Amino acid sequence: MKIVTANRLSDGRVIYAGVDNQPVDSIEQASVLDDTAAEIVLAEVAGRPDVFVNPYLFEVSDRTPSGRDRLKERIRSAGPTVGNSLLWEKA
Amino acid sequence: MYRYDEFDHALVRERVEEFSDQVARRASGALTEDEFKPLRLMNGVYLQLHAYMLRVAVPYGTMSSRQMRKLGHIARTYDKGYGHFTTRTNIQYNWPALTDLPAILRDLAEVEMHAIQTSGNCIRNTTTDVFAGAADDEIEDPRPWCEIIRQWSTIHPEFSFLPRKFKIAVVGAEKDRAAIRTHDVGLQIVRAADGGTAFRVFVGGGQGRLPHIAQEIAAAVPAADLLAYLTAILRAWNLLGRRDNIHKARIKILVASIGIDAFREEVDRHYATLRREDLKIPADELVRIQAYFAPPPFEDLPKASAPFDRALLADPDFARFARNNVRRHRQAGYASVVISLKPIGGVPGDITADQMDVAADLAERYSFDEIRAAYEQNLVLPHVKLDDVPALWRALHEAGLATANADLVTDVIACPGLDYCSLANARSIPVAQALSTRLADLDYQEKLGPVRINMSGCINACGHHHVGHIGVLGVDRKGEEYYQITVGGSPDEQAALGDIVGKSLPSEEVAPAIQRTLDRYLEIRTDGERFIDTVRRVGPDPFRDAIYETLDAANA
Ligand code: HEM
Ligand code: SF4
Repeated sequence: MKIVTANRLSDGRVIYAGVDNQPVDSIEQASVLDDTAAEIVLAEVAGRPDVFVNPYLFEVSDRTPSGRDRLKERIRSAGPTVGNSLLWEKA
Repeated sequence: MYRYDEFDHALVRERVEEFSDQVARRASGALTEDEFKPLRLMNGVYLQLHAYMLRVAVPYGTMSSRQMRKLGHIARTYDKGYGHFTTRTNIQYNWPALTDLPAILRDLAEVEMHAIQTSGNCIRNTTTDVFAGAADDEIEDPRPWCEIIRQWSTIHPEFSFLPRKFKIAVVGAEKDRAAIRTHDVGLQIVRAADGGTAFRVFVGGGQGRLPHIAQEIAAAVPAADLLAYLTAILRAWNLLGRRDNIHKARIKILVASIGIDAFREEVDRHYATLRREDLKIPADELVRIQAYFAPPPFEDLPKASAPFDRALLADPDFARFARNNVRRHRQAGYASVVISLKPIGGVPGDITADQMDVAADLAERYSFDEIRAAYEQNLVLPHVKLDDVPALWRALHEAGLATANADLVTDVIACPGLDYCSLANARSIPVAQALSTRLADLDYQEKLGPVRINMSGCINACGHHHVGHIGVLGVDRKGEEYYQITVGGSPDEQAALGDIVGKSLPSEEVAPAIQRTLDRYLEIRTDGERFIDTVRRVGPDPFRDAIYETLDAANA
């Protein structure tokens, strides 16, 4: 199965195609699509460049990224894995 | 410090207005991403995994307190409260919104900063020795020359569409603290036979997929002819360099393919005519620019400082900080202080907005209002009175900025890797963190002495892994993160590329393997030998054995 993702034009944040091809922030709300539906949704959001920047598909199983780029997609969906300096500031 | 003149102000203001308009047209959908991309790249804006990324230039790594505070303000107002200092001595913001970019650039312009030429195929920010103007082994402060290069190269029409990006670094001492031989052009200030300033010139260095150490092309170019000589190099490359293959477009490929002697002939041919043109640097212009970098009003002080010496005896933690993070200064009674951005287990190069404010305040109070970014992803207060170092240290400690590990094993360079970067094959930050945590014991680190460990998340080598004494490169093996280790690289005047020791390791094996390498060094070193000296003496084999000794054949 596949999910359609992109970055949002206004702030660059990760978005997914959800219900009615609306942009959603969370992979939990993304539409999980079979190959044919995924291509149709991809074409549809590619026609909305005012929201979806560089849209593409990735593979999932049970909504978890599973293809070759699975680690990248997991990091895109959950944010950096490493924290940031705010955590060490007063350490 | 350099202050903008009316031309600089006008140029930056015009660029902010121009880019604001481009952003507005992009946000409204009038420009497509394909149309916008080259425009944003001319202004330091990337689109990364999670957001846009803005790279702000810190020319030759020098900032005032006011500029540092503004960088903190930007992190706090438009980002998530932190920024990331890079090996190009720039700062990157990981989370700005497209629509905030005009406001950010306007804020930067207020303090004479911008993001121009931090990306794209142009001459990038010139880097230099972080101790410029302070080091006691310097022939001459390299920063006026960096500023001259900046003025000459900014939006230079001949060099706005180069085959590929072009990076210049300048040092003013024999000791190379700016890794000049890893740059397209490296310049070392030398004394000419007539006593005047001249430049020893290296060309064709570079990291990335096809790394090369730069070769010497000229022993002593007279200072007044520097721009003519640089123009000759760029022109030769611009005319002969490849544009058909992005990986082969850097000057290093051209120099390696035709050979340094043939390339020198090409350059000399252009130089012969160019040096007769009006590219000579006028003496009064040089004096004018050098005046901006005049030494601050140092006090006449004795060499030794009683408060400093008392603190050394009284507090072992301070003594450790003094041993590792305090550097000799040309002026008696002064020192340069390294502010490590490598807290144990932290993200290399990251700094919070509040810490930026603290660093700015301390620079104002103790270092003539000056603060520097080091390519090792640390900061430096260049001119601190020895008498003030104990108080400075306490203030840094309060702010979580007093990690006493400069140049030690936990002073790791690491690029953002797969946690942020869309080009990455693997993460680099967590591997750096695991190593830092494992080797946290400062007694052990001091026993090991200086070791440069550098990590990149892909072959682009933003983390300088090729020239780390120990280098770590993230690779992708069927969707799993693996890491290739190199040993024996060196970024300095004895620059060398590391040798790949063998098969790549899974991430959890990297830190233990590096520790075994370091332990092997402790066993086989001779008196006074640094890690890199031992590697040069014995070669990589003993370290290869140490790295692979406990790995079972199945996963190696
Ligand atoms: C996250 C966004 C970044 C992107 C997209 C990026 C992209 C690249 C690319 C494509 C190259 C290879 C250039 C070539 O071989 O021609 C490169 C090289 C380099 N980058 Fe980055 N980089 C990023 C961040 C950084 C950071 C954070 C640093 C510093 C920590 C950095 C410092 C460098 C350096 C020193 C090189 C080697 C220069 C050379 O090729 O000689 N970059 N970068
Ligand atoms: S080395 Fe690769 S992963 Fe690291 S910042 Fe550069 S491009 Fe990204």
